[in-house]
Amino acid sequence: MFFKNKPMWGKKTKLKSSYDVVIIGGGLHSLATAYYLSKEHGITDIAIIEKNYIGFGGAGRNTAIVRANQRTRYNVPLYKEALDLWPVLTKELDYNLMFNNCGNLNLMHSEAAMKAARMTIATAQFHGVESHLIDAKQAKELVPALNISEDITFPIHGAMFHPPGGVVRHDAVVWGLAKGCAKNGVQIHQQTEALDIGTRNGKVTSVTTSRGTINTKQVLISAGGYSAALIYDMLGIKLPISVLTIQAMVTQPLKPVLDHVVSSGAYHCYANQTLKGEIATGAHMDPWPNYTTLNTAHYIKHQAEALSEFLPCLRGVRFMRIWGGLADMTPDMAPIMDGNDQVEGFFMDCGWGYFGFKSCSAVGKYMAQFMAGNECPGMLKPFNLNRYQEHKLMGETAALVNYSPDN
Amino acid sequence: MALTITCPICGKRNGYEFRFGGEEKGPRPEEKDLTPQAWCDYVHMNKCVAGVQEEWWFHKDGCGSWFKILRDTTTNLEQAAGEAAK
Repeated sequence: MFFKNKPMWGKKTKLKSSYDVVIIGGGLHSLATAYYLSKEHGITDIAIIEKNYIGFGGAGRNTAIVRANQRTRYNVPLYKEALDLWPVLTKELDYNLMFNNCGNLNLMHSEAAMKAARMTIATAQFHGVESHLIDAKQAKELVPALNISEDITFPIHGAMFHPPGGVVRHDAVVWGLAKGCAKNGVQIHQQTEALDIGTRNGKVTSVTTSRGTINTKQVLISAGGYSAALIYDMLGIKLPISVLTIQAMVTQPLKPVLDHVVSSGAYHCYANQTLKGEIATGAHMDPWPNYTTLNTAHYIKHQAEALSEFLPCLRGVRFMRIWGGLADMTPDMAPIMDGNDQVEGFFMDCGWGYFGFKSCSAVGKYMAQFMAGNECPGMLKPFNLNRYQEHKLMGETAALVNYSPDN
Repeated sequence: MALTITCPICGKRNGYEFRFGGEEKGPRPEEKDLTPQAWCDYVHMNKCVAGVQEEWWFHKDGCGSWFKILRDTTTNLEQAAGEAAK
């Protein structure tokens, strides 16, 4: 497997029998949390336990889009900070994360959608996030390839334009953070599967792995789409999560044609042109929970239909690669970050759905604060698991979405 | 992600004819003495099993019946009841 003999992030280390902190999952949320724990809190005795290789899951499967135009007052500041951190991390890690703030254009296809966008924009502006409502003509000026004629399935009424968003090279973030972690003494153990969490008197005592048991007082599960199954399996904690495969694909490389991220809720399609020239595009999730990460002709056809309608210049362009990843969806489209609640010393960071990539930088910072001080930072308090029981679901979607059936 | 589902009335059909109806969670809790925790458990909480799970399906583009099947969520293959018990 990758870097088995000589990891690119630093020296190969031996798995010890005890650590201050064990992090299950070798994705971006884990790496970022370990990075900030070691950098800002002086906690360096950390093991990151990864079953496959770092960046195997969502970290390497997302479509690299970053933005901060969420909908509620709890989410917007968190995503804004995450967005602001890309240039900072690029400098700090001394690693080119290839942040390209080309701006996001979120197409609206009805007057109702324009109304919903107005509210989202008002929230964004209130929190200091640049976001504007533009009409179809202005959208066409920004993206000349756009089809604003009336005779498509969902004619374009306007768009929400969010200039500070864009794309970040996702693999570079994995490698940069891994290097940063290793430099600070964090150990990354690939090909090591976490099997169980040992507890005594309601406190975490150990983590059992495929390569032996590790004694520890703090454990974080941030294993992306696999988190919910692991948490139920190891601790019997049920979560309001549905895990669904989400598919993405890229076309053959083209000359520059698209210099913004374009997305459409009605078409269930988003697209941006990578630096290599490919049009990277994502689809909606599978209609039923599964862990297959397999692709289907159903979605290839759907993407081709959607793209060739609102970006007609792409008609006849071929898809070159296609892949799938997992999205762990919650009923309110907001994540679950909690700790020291069900079991002392147990932390979780999951339920990110398809927002895990764009949030990882800020979440790492705050989860590290949470774990180092054993006190939940204000920024993360609204995201506790109890909100479902208290019926305090966050309004991250304009209309309640049911994430398995019919959409 | 291909999936076929065996409807008790229509037999084995394409999975896209059906609507997923959630994990099997037992009977709806009684209204009497219902706690927010029990209700939340029933409404929101899932086990997210990576393996065989019992789940509800609705044949929306077919006969309209609701029924339960066993499916392996890592392969999308339906399991016979006896097979899953092994």
